[in-house]
Amino acid sequence: MIKAVPPALIFILGAMLIPLLKGKLKQVYLLLVPTVAFLDIIHLNPGTSWVYHFLGYDLIFCKVDRLSLVVAYIFVIIGFLAILYCLHVKEDGQHVAAFLYMGSSLGVVFAGDYFSLFVFWEIMAVSSVFLVWYQKEKSALDAGFRYLIMHIIGGCCLLAGIIIYAVNTGSIALTHMGTNLADTLILIGFGLNTAFIPIHTWLPDAYPEGTVTGSVFMSVYTTKTGVYVLARCFSGMPFVAYMGGIMTVYGVLFALLQNDARRLLSYHIVSQVGYMVAGIGVGTELGVNGGIAHVFNHILYKALLFMCMGSVIYMTGKRKLIDLGGLAKYMPVTCMACIIASLSIAGAPGFNGYVSKGMVITSAAEKGMPILELMMVLAAVGTFLSFVKLCYFTFFAPNEEMRAKEAPLNMQLAMLLTASLCVFIGVYPKVLFHVLPYTTVHYHPYTPSHIMGTIQLFMLAGLAFLLAKDMIAPHRATVLDFDYFYRMGGRGLVWVCIVPLSNFRSKSQVFSSRTVDLIVRLTKNPIMLLEIPAAYAYLRITQGLRYVSGYSSSETYNENLYRRPIGVGVLIAIILFFAYVLIHFIF
Amino acid sequence: MEKGLKRLFLLLVVLCIPAGFFIKHEHAIFLWHKIPSIETVFGFVGAFLLILGTRILASFAQKKEDFYD
Repeated sequence: MIKAVPPALIFILGAMLIPLLKGKLKQVYLLLVPTVAFLDIIHLNPGTSWVYHFLGYDLIFCKVDRLSLVVAYIFVIIGFLAILYCLHVKEDGQHVAAFLYMGSSLGVVFAGDYFSLFVFWEIMAVSSVFLVWYQKEKSALDAGFRYLIMHIIGGCCLLAGIIIYAVNTGSIALTHMGTNLADTLILIGFGLNTAFIPIHTWLPDAYPEGTVTGSVFMSVYTTKTGVYVLARCFSGMPFVAYMGGIMTVYGVLFALLQNDARRLLSYHIVSQVGYMVAGIGVGTELGVNGGIAHVFNHILYKALLFMCMGSVIYMTGKRKLIDLGGLAKYMPVTCMACIIASLSIAGAPGFNGYVSKGMVITSAAEKGMPILELMMVLAAVGTFLSFVKLCYFTFFAPNEEMRAKEAPLNMQLAMLLTASLCVFIGVYPKVLFHVLPYTTVHYHPYTPSHIMGTIQLFMLAGLAFLLAKDMIAPHRATVLDFDYFYRMGGRGLVWVCIVPLSNFRSKSQVFSSRTVDLIVRLTKNPIMLLEIPAAYAYLRITQGLRYVSGYSSSETYNENLYRRPIGVGVLIAIILFFAYVLIHFIF
Repeated sequence: MEKGLKRLFLLLVVLCIPAGFFIKHEHAIFLWHKIPSIETVFGFVGAFLLILGTRILASFAQKKEDFYD
């Protein structure tokens, strides 16, 4: 029987072959790789395998348990659907970047130690930035660089934490962490990928600038690997729980102000990831199961939303809500898929978001965290408002000038399949419960009070939308986030480098070269340090007198006149050597 | 058509408020879980607070589109 390999390997090696294939064969191959990876994951046995001893540590490339398996399943399923969505893309580079990104994310999921996790973590950051840069616009290039800088800073924190942890404990095993310095640095590293406030700014900055297809991949992997590692290492930490609560409200508040459709979705990633982080921070079996179930569901509906908005941008060339509208009759499949995704993210009964969001909110209440519960309920109201706004201004708002065609067949198919999964899990959540980390949790999502409560919440929020539609209507504007401080800080740093530091550099360069020049002159004959300047002075004086008296001479300084016999140099060398040997043997 | 839909929606909004009085919360933990139809308050007041929040945020954080250029 063939031994299962780390799924990361299938994608990373699979990426190498993409440029060699053409046409239909390439398309079949692109879909075949995630299929093989899925079969491989099904055949993975629980436990650790692919362990390599390196520098006294065990590098574990395949740690398999229920937590890693559930995340891996959804990573590969959505990988397949996202590849189907971008099958028409001709640039091999985009496919290679996406494969490396998927592979490295799976590498993180199955890593059993911090070193291998860090390596895959960094491949993830570097490969994903190409999905932004392939947009080939200045704004995308700039956003990509900001994305990379933020992730490098996060990676440095993570590496520093790992090194301190390894030195202190003598182990690099991926285990539950505490609150000391190493753990805090690791938490910052993980928190950056999970879009903790205020280090979340890379997300709404870069994701809207990505390629139409690249943003679908980006919406899935980076933040969810962050949630996964939090579940493994920092579950049950109150700070994490409340950070999740803050993220839910913060993301929604900024999303409501957005005009760019994909930036609105990006802020909702912050908000929805907040639910997952909150569930994991609560730390109970229901909380962790809820957080991971939300990872599973969110990946489906958020990828679907990015697919829908990607299709709209692809077919109309417009990305601002203010320029859109009236697309329902031109793009019915996209419209229907977007409504399903919106109902899913809002948590409407019958859709997948309803199941997992309820689990997280219930876990916070059961743990006795009323503020956290209320924050998440408030965010649920905001999410509903946001997606009523998105659907209305994209598909239903009057726009007489709008003309568009439905998206290509592969894009439609990917959207329909993803939408069906959202409904399937919403209607039949047992299939999801079956793969969650804890098997002892019994949660019933479809209770009368929960269904009625959700309907009432949405009805009244809908009424508020009708009354205050103009107040949240899109405007042509930029909304400043914490990135304002980072950008100003960055500009300040550039100024410090260009003005004071550069002046200091040029002055010290002049000073250093003069000093070196002087030392070179003096070292031509170190024994006669004093004799040479005296001779120079004498020459100067005599030459000066001769000049005054009108007498010219070709007499100049000749260094050979002042040289000592070679024996003196040898003597000094022997003395120094003797001193060195003496010191060496004595000490 | 649009007016009819609006009226139907408003009717459903009005109906959903008393409907909550017939359903009891299965796992009431906090005080508000015991109040019937509390979600209607959460929905309306929550939406009002969020819209107010966005207006306050917009007053100092909303700038021209080319602000960073």
